[in-house]
Amino acid sequence: MTSQAATAPMATSATQARTVKQHPPKRDWVNLGFLVWGIGVYIFLFLPILIIVAYSFNTGRALLAFTSFGFTSFSNALTQTEITGPVKVSLISAIGASILATFIGTLAGIALARRPGKWTVGFVVLLALVLVTPEIVDGISLLLWFTKLGTVMGSGYTRLWVGTSLFAIAVVTLIVRARMSGLDESLEEAASDLYATPWNRFRQITLPLVMPAVISGLLLSFSLSLDNTIIAQFVSKPGVGPWPVYVWGSLRQVLRPEIAAMSTMMMLLTLFALVVTALVLRRSGESSTAIATTVAGG
Amino acid sequence: MASEAATTKRSRLRAPGFLLALPAWAWLLFFFVIPVAFIVYYSFGYKPGLLTLKPGQINTIATDKLGFSSYHEAWTMADGAVVRTFKQTLEISILGTLLCLIIAFPFAYWLAVKVPEKWRGVLLGLILVPFWTNFLVRTIGWQILLTPDGWLSTGLQSIHLRSTPLSILDTRAAVQLGVVYNYLVLMILPLFVSLDRLDPALREASKDLGANRVKTFLQVTLPLSTPGIISGMLLVFIPLSGDYITASVLGGAKGTMVGQFVYEEFLTAQNWAVGSAMAMILMGMILAAVLIFGAVFFIVSRVLRQRRKVVLAPLGATA
Repeated sequence: MTSQAATAPMATSATQARTVKQHPPKRDWVNLGFLVWGIGVYIFLFLPILIIVAYSFNTGRALLAFTSFGFTSFSNALTQTEITGPVKVSLISAIGASILATFIGTLAGIALARRPGKWTVGFVVLLALVLVTPEIVDGISLLLWFTKLGTVMGSGYTRLWVGTSLFAIAVVTLIVRARMSGLDESLEEAASDLYATPWNRFRQITLPLVMPAVISGLLLSFSLSLDNTIIAQFVSKPGVGPWPVYVWGSLRQVLRPEIAAMSTMMMLLTLFALVVTALVLRRSGESSTAIATTVAGG
Repeated sequence: MASEAATTKRSRLRAPGFLLALPAWAWLLFFFVIPVAFIVYYSFGYKPGLLTLKPGQINTIATDKLGFSSYHEAWTMADGAVVRTFKQTLEISILGTLLCLIIAFPFAYWLAVKVPEKWRGVLLGLILVPFWTNFLVRTIGWQILLTPDGWLSTGLQSIHLRSTPLSILDTRAAVQLGVVYNYLVLMILPLFVSLDRLDPALREASKDLGANRVKTFLQVTLPLSTPGIISGMLLVFIPLSGDYITASVLGGAKGTMVGQFVYEEFLTAQNWAVGSAMAMILMGMILAAVLIFGAVFFIVSRVLRQRRKVVLAPLGATA
């Protein structure tokens, strides 16, 4: 259906032009307008990103004042512990949170798709609440809650894992549910008929089938956790501050080109993750649009 | 098909019940529902004075007397600056959501309908690249762009489009621009998904039945893409209203948003009661805005449906 969607309008206009003689193939101003609009949006979206990339080659002391072109900020960003430290914290907390969220969310997504009942209504409402609560409210409520729990939630990493996992759990659950409800249940039933134990059925049939959704859920929740700024700011403890919290702190003092350099490198990393997801999903036979919407969490 | 056999089989499959969702229930209950409930509770408390602090009390919150004093304090704080900021936040959020919709709809339509299939995945992936760059860093990119002595400003002056340096940074306009930028992708994606699902045969049928472009758009494409429009508007409006980062980076003293006050109360002033009360007011404002919008939308769509309803008149009676 999607391939038809793409070619249909163009194909019809082309055949019209060929078969109906009095319809000269003139340039369509509406389509041209759409094209210009589309390119404009891309320029808008990429403008500040390109600025960051360009300014990461600034050799001066302050990011905002471009002095000369060079690579010093990149080598500094990789060697100075005040920069690499927060990035490490970010990576560890994002890895932990995404594994956690994927585990919890995958189970919940399968349950939602396969064992619907009265409980699903309440659960979907809860997920929706998680999705629509402004991050600042999550942030302050977790700050209060962690303070109340005291040393139980004392570790800086545990706080970050919990804080950034909430939204990711909801997203993974919805992605896995979407994939599961599109799958025929008869395969799992056949496994049961052939005397597979529930565990074997899950491991050998259900899990391989939902794997594309699980992988994109994992990568999406990794990116969401890595990007999380607001919750991280409220829950992080001094000494275990992730990257955005470090950038926020330096915003009040002086922004250094190293920040832009590190951002550029992290951008390349996430681009790489995106391409890997797309390749994994393509091997499992999804269309490019389906891939992009899955990656986007649509 | 032997439906009876199927149902017994299904009930056998369902044997573990909703146990699989139990971790998610427990997790969200413990780390989402309970903490948010505490915000509600604390918003009725107060911050104890340092001298009147009783043993065992912490100086950020006391709940032995419950009341609306923190709401009152939050609302009247800083000579009405909080009230002004709430109003400004609401205006920025509504305008920002509408701007996102206006920018995103033609774009999503172009991507879902006009662009050839083989390019669509790549182009969609490209939208996500800025989205995957840290929120704060993207906003700093705008800060660099908009500085009065930055290259955009000097460039515009050198080609004589402007005679004075850009003066948009540290104003409300800069915040407006920043939030539209930061949340635009959240509008594009749901719109794209709903427009992509739309069967092109419907548009062609409309064309075949004599409708022109505008009519096809208004009567076929637009009504069928409303789920995408609604989820996009929610996805943009709600986080945008609670955002304080864009305003802190781009807004200066003039472009403040409520989130900044909440941030100050919790992380600087250490007044949890007033901070919670502000967060509650913010959530109430968001909820009210969503409900009002929902009601207006419901009424308008009912009226439109009534007007568009085609009553098939008996043969010979058609005008």
